[in-house]
Amino acid sequence: MAAVAADATGVAGADARAQRATRGLRSAMAQVGALSGRSVRNIWRQPQVWIPSIAFPLMFAALNTAALGRVPGQIADQSGGTFHPFGPRDVYLDFLFVATLTQGVLFGGLSGGSELAQDIESGFFDRLVTTPVRRASILVGRLAGSAVLGGVQALVFMAVFLAFGARVQGGLAGAVVLPLAAMLLALTIGGLACAMAIRTGSVEAVQGVFPLIFITLFISSAFFPTALMTGWYRTVATHNPLSTMINGMRHQVLVGFDLAEAAKAVLVPGGLATLAIVLCLVSLRARLAQR
Amino acid sequence: MGDLPIEASGLVRRFGDFVAVDRVDLAVRSGEVFGFLGPNGAGKSTTVRMLTTLLTPTEGTARVAGYDVVREASKVRRAIGVALQDAAIDPLMTGNELLRLQAALQGIPRSAAARRGAELLERVGLTAAGDKRVGAYSGGMRRRLDLALALLHEPRVLFLDEPTTGLDPSSRLNLWEEVRYLNSELGTTVLLTTQYLEEADQLAERIAIIDGGRIVREGRSGDLKAEVGSPTLRIELADGDGVAAQAEAALAPFGEARPCEAGFVAVGLSGGAARMAEVVRALDEVGVTVAGMELHNPTLDDVFADATGRRLEGAAEDTGPDEAGPGTMGSDGSDGRGSGAGAGPGGDGAGPGAGVGGSAAAVSAGRRRGRR
Repeated sequence: MAAVAADATGVAGADARAQRATRGLRSAMAQVGALSGRSVRNIWRQPQVWIPSIAFPLMFAALNTAALGRVPGQIADQSGGTFHPFGPRDVYLDFLFVATLTQGVLFGGLSGGSELAQDIESGFFDRLVTTPVRRASILVGRLAGSAVLGGVQALVFMAVFLAFGARVQGGLAGAVVLPLAAMLLALTIGGLACAMAIRTGSVEAVQGVFPLIFITLFISSAFFPTALMTGWYRTVATHNPLSTMINGMRHQVLVGFDLAEAAKAVLVPGGLATLAIVLCLVSLRARLAQR
Repeated sequence: MGDLPIEASGLVRRFGDFVAVDRVDLAVRSGEVFGFLGPNGAGKSTTVRMLTTLLTPTEGTARVAGYDVVREASKVRRAIGVALQDAAIDPLMTGNELLRLQAALQGIPRSAAARRGAELLERVGLTAAGDKRVGAYSGGMRRRLDLALALLHEPRVLFLDEPTTGLDPSSRLNLWEEVRYLNSELGTTVLLTTQYLEEADQLAERIAIIDGGRIVREGRSGDLKAEVGSPTLRIELADGDGVAAQAEAALAPFGEARPCEAGFVAVGLSGGAARMAEVVRALDEVGVTVAGMELHNPTLDDVFADATGRRLEGAAEDTGPDEAGPGTMGSDGSDGRGSGAGAGPGGDGAGPGAGVGGSAAAVSAGRRRGRR
């Protein structure tokens, strides 16, 4: 009898725990959803945040295309053969597409950090922290805005480039890789910017990261094939993880869909995003512990 | 520790070498509005931030709603409502969006949140503005929305950190009404910090006066004032601080000297208004010319001055007519409206600083001088 009663109690206890876990998960999802919604809405309501991150890269693309559009598509290599730095179609616009997309996402991704720093400066972050919200939900909600912006930017850039004659040789599968990689890259930059925001609590400090991002982008294969570079610049650009991601994305545009290249395009920013989010969480924990 | 909604023992918070809060003990009873009064930088907000789990105490313990603020911080957060200083509300969101966000963070189901949000918006008079972005709200509207957000989950304990700072008088009165309603109708325990004497006087059943991180007085407003004793006679000297020592010597037989600003002397007048003419004569005998006089019953500012030797910043703004004592009078001993010949330069007794409003301006503008 006692054993049966104990079993019944155990089952009831397990049920109660399962119910609590379900409620907790549902509550966490609702919190993340609400904070993500706020993040996305706030970006949309600030055209000064998203318009430049789309307009300026397109402007750069127009200037670059005008300046370099007649660069020969076939270049002799050291072995006496030729290679096609801009892809088999020899179209500079195709080559520039991924560079523009990456540039836009890098700039737009910073907005998540700036917004978080703004929340800290204004005291809104304290309002959030005095509620029972899970700390990770605050970050996930904030980063969701960056990721959505990255995805939207990718779609806008794709539409503009296709309209001006660019082609994605990888078809639909290749085209899907691009916004996916863009979202993960936005998470990476957003995560780093949020970590900076949490550590400094300053919008200016977050925006101060901009030149570093600019340099990282330029010392990569974004605007020029690494084969055309020389010396230390080529070495750094070749080992820049951004180049690995860009080359993977570019393969979908210039050559066609390739799973291994698609994996590079997605896994590199995915791995970096994971590191950035961990850095964010560690920074948040440190900030709250210092209080 | 008993079942007090807010209790703290030996609470200390240091920032490097600076001690912001120094061994603060608190015991706020259930259903009480407790006022935490002090000047800027006294340690009010730091104490509230510790009680609301935003800051960790350097020393001491505190329990809110029965939970330890350090070890059971998440339980504390479920039980409290907080409206922090400056009403930090996202200006890009609408009132309704903020209420929905707050509901999600508090784990309130969507249908219940919608109903409760609508009730609260109506209660604080923001129904029509619910779909407008907060950036378009006035300071008073933001404060009221802040209050609604803090109340959404029906907290047992409500912290209001300087809720009316920067508000116009009408918005301040509206907010006071809300606090009274919450307390009397809903029985919510409220800890209110303020630098306004009148606010503490009007709203709080009990008051703790904090200065330099330490509680210097605590009790019911009436009791605290009664402890100060005699009314304060404040005298403006026509010849300024140069004759202050003579004036103080002449006033010594009338009561103890009290702190006041430069160009004035003040005394706790034993015997009250009946002795004012006598005071004028005593000053006249030692050659001190009086520019104006004012007698008032003890206020919380006097309590603060009694405890710290200084006047509370912002006291001037709060010295309203309802705090005026038995009367103000000119230097001729008239009732302040006087038309007789006066000893001071004001002549008719309505000279500078003679009226309540005039004295308030003088307090605000004058150099503060602590004398005990």
